[in-house]
Amino acid sequence: MKKACLCGLLLVAFGGPVVAEPSSKVAWTLETLALVKNGDREKGRQIAETCAACHASGPQPAGTTFPDLQGQLATYLYKQLRDYKDGTRASEIMAPITASLSDKDMADVAAWYSAQPAQAGAKAETVSETAERLVERGDGRRILPSCNACHESDGRGQTIDVPALAGQNPAYTEQTLLDYKSGARHNDIYGRMRTIARELGDEDIRQLARYYAGLKR
Amino acid sequence: MSNLIPVHPLEKRWIYVVLGVIALFLGAIFYTALVHQVHPPGAIETIDSATLHLGGEFAEDKLGVRTDADGHLRATLVAARYGFYPREIRVPEGLPITFRIASADVLHGMHVPMTNLDTMVVPGYVSTVTTTFPKPGEYPMLCNEYCGMGHDHMWSKVIVVSRESWKAAAPQTGR
Repeated sequence: MKKACLCGLLLVAFGGPVVAEPSSKVAWTLETLALVKNGDREKGRQIAETCAACHASGPQPAGTTFPDLQGQLATYLYKQLRDYKDGTRASEIMAPITASLSDKDMADVAAWYSAQPAQAGAKAETVSETAERLVERGDGRRILPSCNACHESDGRGQTIDVPALAGQNPAYTEQTLLDYKSGARHNDIYGRMRTIARELGDEDIRQLARYYAGLKR
Repeated sequence: MSNLIPVHPLEKRWIYVVLGVIALFLGAIFYTALVHQVHPPGAIETIDSATLHLGGEFAEDKLGVRTDADGHLRATLVAARYGFYPREIRVPEGLPITFRIASADVLHGMHVPMTNLDTMVVPGYVSTVTTTFPKPGEYPMLCNEYCGMGHDHMWSKVIVVSRESWKAAAPQTGR
């Protein structure tokens, strides 16, 4: 018995049969890229009728952390839907909703939302200097690349799945960065966003969310 | 021949200088190759960059420094815009260590200044380099192939620890 316990302990300690799940099961192979590219907007619109309760166009009611999806990158939307379904992105709301969606459905919904005009951001009256510096130059001492490097200078996002941030609901952006920081959200491959968010102070995060909410795409 | 094409003595001197430089470079290449066994990477090993994270050698939980069954040290890393993962590795001074690195996206380079660790990381291929770190200390690991807007922020940390403290912290064995 003792031996069995010891073996078990050793196996756990040295990662024997305990295989950690990848942070996302989505891989951008040519097939997946083609699937998302060929998403059917009309079918997507029909499926998206269910989504409108939380993701309708127009500004979100204050305080809600539901993200604006209009004008978001289709590849990013598709990856998030898949991750919700696979459980690699945890959400009590989205997990049951995505459970019945096929890969094709997700590509269709992604195509529909990405084709909608993005929310026009309301420029924040005062933009914090810290946020602006992080966005434009990053911070060498904390090994932080500028946000622009991946999310582009107008916050429109970048291929393949770097999300657009411009005009996004600030409460959502703030919560997302906090979740990356704490590890509650962990569907970024190789922990790229978690590594960055861990270096950000809570006030940096709040200011960055305000900054991006005020950007127009 | 020299009667047909007149060559100015100064030009002749320069030709000798150039030939000398070429001979010097070739000599250096042959010397390092034959005496110090410095060779360009021989084995070409391909890998699918898009599915790196899904499993196999470059899965997220397989990265880092570990000791193989035969006692040889191996560091497995992934280069992706904009960093090397894991972001910090500890390696011992004076022991040979083999780096295996793959890119998850575009062309990167892996360079650790003040050491001879320097290789291109081409998407679709595994780069393998074996080196020995002569001196303990903290070194940056830099990307030296332009890979995008955040290229100048793409660096990670390599901590070379003395052999004694490496042995003291032995539990890394078997990871």
